[in-house]
Amino acid sequence: MSDKTAAMAPRSEASLPAGWSARGIPFVQIALLALAAAALVILPFAVTGYVLYIANLLLVFVVLCLGLHLVIGETGQFALAHAAFYGIGIYTSGLAGNAFGWPFPLSMLLAGLIAGAVGVVIGAVALRMRDIYLALATFAFGEAMQWVFLNWDRVTGGPNGLRISPARLGAFEILSDKQAYPVVVVMALLMLVLTIIISRSRLGRAFRAVRESEVAAMAMGVPVRRAKIVAFGLSAFYAGVAGSMFATFSTYIHPDSLGFQTTILVLTMVVVGGLGSIAGAVGGAIAFGLISEVLRQTPSYQEIIYGLILIVFMMYAPRGVFAFIRDRMGRAARG
Amino acid sequence: MTLEVALLFLQQGIASGLVVGSVYALLALAIVVIFKTSEVPNFSQGEMVMAAGYIALYLLVFRNLPLWVVMPATILAAFAGAALFRRLILNQVARANGSPVNLVIATLGLSYVLRGFVRQTGFGDTPRSFPPVIEPQSIMIGQASVTTLDLVILATAVVVMAAFFWMFKYTKVGRAMRAVGMNPKAAQLVGVDLTRIHMIVWGLSGAISAVAALLISPKVLMTADMGSIVTLGFAAAIVGGFTSLPGAVVGGFLIGIIENLVGLFVTSRAIVLAPFLAIMLVLVIRPQGLFGGRVEIKKV
Repeated sequence: MSDKTAAMAPRSEASLPAGWSARGIPFVQIALLALAAAALVILPFAVTGYVLYIANLLLVFVVLCLGLHLVIGETGQFALAHAAFYGIGIYTSGLAGNAFGWPFPLSMLLAGLIAGAVGVVIGAVALRMRDIYLALATFAFGEAMQWVFLNWDRVTGGPNGLRISPARLGAFEILSDKQAYPVVVVMALLMLVLTIIISRSRLGRAFRAVRESEVAAMAMGVPVRRAKIVAFGLSAFYAGVAGSMFATFSTYIHPDSLGFQTTILVLTMVVVGGLGSIAGAVGGAIAFGLISEVLRQTPSYQEIIYGLILIVFMMYAPRGVFAFIRDRMGRAARG
Repeated sequence: MTLEVALLFLQQGIASGLVVGSVYALLALAIVVIFKTSEVPNFSQGEMVMAAGYIALYLLVFRNLPLWVVMPATILAAFAGAALFRRLILNQVARANGSPVNLVIATLGLSYVLRGFVRQTGFGDTPRSFPPVIEPQSIMIGQASVTTLDLVILATAVVVMAAFFWMFKYTKVGRAMRAVGMNPKAAQLVGVDLTRIHMIVWGLSGAISAVAALLISPKVLMTADMGSIVTLGFAAAIVGGFTSLPGAVVGGFLIGIIENLVGLFVTSRAIVLAPFLAIMLVLVIRPQGLFGGRVEIKKV
């Protein structure tokens, strides 16, 4: 019995996410979480509609980042078609609302499921490749999807864009960013919890095993191919849900914003936050989303600063801002 | 469509396809030579082309320099810029102990910086046209109509490619590049200076991009986003197998011809889609491309 517990102990400690100490109650983390929760609740009473619009948008990016985190951060598969699935989500929920007047929880689910299904089909083909070939195949798929959004006039409105009618549930209609905010917050939190659950489950361990070494994972009995396809499908599902979240507070969508640039923006967020950590994905989305909003008026500076951030991070903090701070603090503590 | 029209379209498609295809072949060559030696797909290749195009435009139009100064100056600037990027930035990224993918992300960063910089200087605000290097005159080859400019483009591209292949095959530095591509550690053991070879490879890739920019700029409108043309270079590289230099050249010509035939026979709307479909088809049916070797499985 005592043998057994001794063997179990290191494993349970290893399964805790980095930064959580197994020895004591993690006061700092709890305080930070409480602070974040309080901020989320107070926000709609304290700020103007524009700030709430930004908050909604940031939360959409959080979900997009969580999805990309699953496939790139956890599973190590470099898929570059995130914006395509995001677009599928926006158009699906927009059209479900426009044409059939579906209640928004239903169209959200539909958006996620359709994006996820397309993701599984594409993944089944594309994930036979790896590294650069996978990246280029998914990049090509993403660009082809943008072409479809632009040219399938009868469904997407083509280059004129698509007006999205207000999301509704029975007689209740979402007409402002303030009304959309609770829905968006709840969805973002749901997806965050789902990510943590997946990451700590058998599935999450399979993902990380594939990332570290496919051959070793295979030898341990992990179904490598299936794990990759599931990760890709899940990330597409997340992007679809993010798209439907966007559709609840937005009235208009144009295919221009659904290209490679958006995929790269999400990738940048995940990388700057720290590839492979959930906190990194969330933090990166919020920090980078804010930067991009502040610089929106000056697109050329926005591009230069994006680029410099990417380059400097790759040079000096390749594992993201959180790992960078942790390393520095650890070094300082050790003296 | 009668047989006569189809034949005419076929001739025109192949003639125009060979011309643009020669530029795609140069782009693919620039991509593949870097990938072969450092396993990095350079996502800033398109912006290198764009930046070189704007350097040439600046020297030619705003500084009124003659063409025989502008061309070598542009190529030299591109060589130096790319080599310095490798030396100063990518070396540090490689040392920083992250995942190999970080090098790729750094090249994405460079592409943002270059695009933003060109926009910021004000050159990229409005689409500009590059003055033609020679007066284009129409020439008939068979039933296909091409211009003298087209012939100059094709001839220059072929000469540059031939020079590159000669360098890669017969010179000492070319042998060192091939050695680094096969096994960097072994190459280092026999005395190849890796840092220097990587710099030269990037510099050459930049110089080839500059040549491509000089050739293609008179035919397209210049904007800060013209780097997206490199997608066709990537498509060509994939068709050729991504690690094969002759494959890149053949892929370039193939993509050029396919693109033009699709435009003539199907619809001009589908031209944009053609390279992506080509990428996906090749990767699904024959992932190693036309000239790629066996697919290797990484060891534990």
